[in-house]
Amino acid sequence: MSRKVVLTGFGCVSGLGIGLAQTWRKLAAGEGAIRPWRREAPEGHPAWRIDGPAARVDAEACRMALEQAVGDKDDLRPLGQLDPLSLHALTAGLEAVEAAGLRGHPSLARRTAILIGCGSGGNATMDQAYERLYARDLAKVHPQTIPASMISAPASHLAMVLGVHGPTFVIASACASSAHALGEAMHMIRSGRADVAIAGGSEACLTLGSWTAWSAVGVMADDTCRPFSKDRKGMVLGEGAAVVVLESEDHAQARGANILGELAGYGTSSDAADMTAPDREGIETAIRAAHEDAGIASEVPALISTHGTGTRLNDPVEAAAIRAIYGRSLEASTVIATKSAHGHLIGATAAMEFVIGMEALARGAAPPVLNHLGAAPDCDLPLALAEASPGAVPIDHRVLVSNSFAFGGLNAVLIGRLPS
Amino acid sequence: MTVSKEAILGVIAEESGLDPAALRPDATFEQLDIGSLDVASTLFIIEDKFGVEVDPDKLDPHSTIADFVDLVMRLAPS
Repeated sequence: MSRKVVLTGFGCVSGLGIGLAQTWRKLAAGEGAIRPWRREAPEGHPAWRIDGPAARVDAEACRMALEQAVGDKDDLRPLGQLDPLSLHALTAGLEAVEAAGLRGHPSLARRTAILIGCGSGGNATMDQAYERLYARDLAKVHPQTIPASMISAPASHLAMVLGVHGPTFVIASACASSAHALGEAMHMIRSGRADVAIAGGSEACLTLGSWTAWSAVGVMADDTCRPFSKDRKGMVLGEGAAVVVLESEDHAQARGANILGELAGYGTSSDAADMTAPDREGIETAIRAAHEDAGIASEVPALISTHGTGTRLNDPVEAAAIRAIYGRSLEASTVIATKSAHGHLIGATAAMEFVIGMEALARGAAPPVLNHLGAAPDCDLPLALAEASPGAVPIDHRVLVSNSFAFGGLNAVLIGRLPS
Repeated sequence: MTVSKEAILGVIAEESGLDPAALRPDATFEQLDIGSLDVASTLFIIEDKFGVEVDPDKLDPHSTIADFVDLVMRLAPS
């Protein structure tokens, strides 16, 4: 059994805005969400300071959007305390399900799956608990600490709000988590294990503890994110969520759903080489596998949404892999790197970039690569740069290739296609 | 912070997500759908805010809001 898997709803939350409409407006105008993030150290704790760029979600607007989407605040009561990780996932998830016209639909019971990618759990909740224990020597932490912060909480919370009883879990593969979530959800539908899948990713890692740990890795920029640019300094952390509703084509057609596209291919590989450095062979393996799975030749012009972190190591290795696979046909394609706008959403980033990529195909407009200071000698790619005007770059592609290459050498590539 | 009946009810409402008006004195935790984790959360905040430590074994699903308030008030330093 192998069924065609179509896309019927998108939702997203990031520093760019709450919902796809706000997000697209910013992207189309060539605006980014990366801003200075400063937190002064409180007295007695000189290490507790933050000073660097980040793309943060407007938490208040996100909660208001969620309460509006739920309708009755009492429906959120059984969920208990919500870490921002779940807040983001719920807001994006409800938007996607609403857009798909599936809220309250009988399909959402046993034949729907929920697969959410997360890089880490509820950092804000854990930070609060550890601060009590380590800094204030208090023996007790809030009883909701574990249920609110566990990495699987967003999947559980979505299932509770939507009444989904099918296979529901979280996939963790660092920065590729939500690509794996979408890809595995696609396979669930192809194989007949589910008719509908609510798949995506969520992340909420902008906390003091997480920030300090990321800073220690040595991959963070102190100015902004400049993918494939000369003088790039590294990645910039973001936060948020993106969720996609996937359905078997038969199921979508039977209920008269508006089909936005197809998740046509998924390729995944493991470098088995290094915990932080990318591996060109592993990357190429995943991209080729995605094309093979989709039955779409690499010569077909496409919108290529890169992993494009802006780090010293990722960008040249990814650029070389893309050059090796697409060769001269690359000139007819368009390459984007939207982390320059929304930051690196870690476990949510792949889903965010897939949603943006599909929206770009549908609108015939590519969000420009921001903050670019000129071509880097080691990153030769036909980037969509907003050189002539600050807005989106016109495109005419029907195929999206969306790359995600995670720490630990876990690679996942998705191929989307507009409806024929 | 001084303990008062109103302050205790405020914590129950906050931790259970219920409207304070719903917290009738004779209503039990079970009737109000306040589960054991909500009770534990409420006790945690009560201890944190007021320094009053309550043994959770003295409460069960049939305890009423009035039982809870009385218990905390009895244990509070006068």
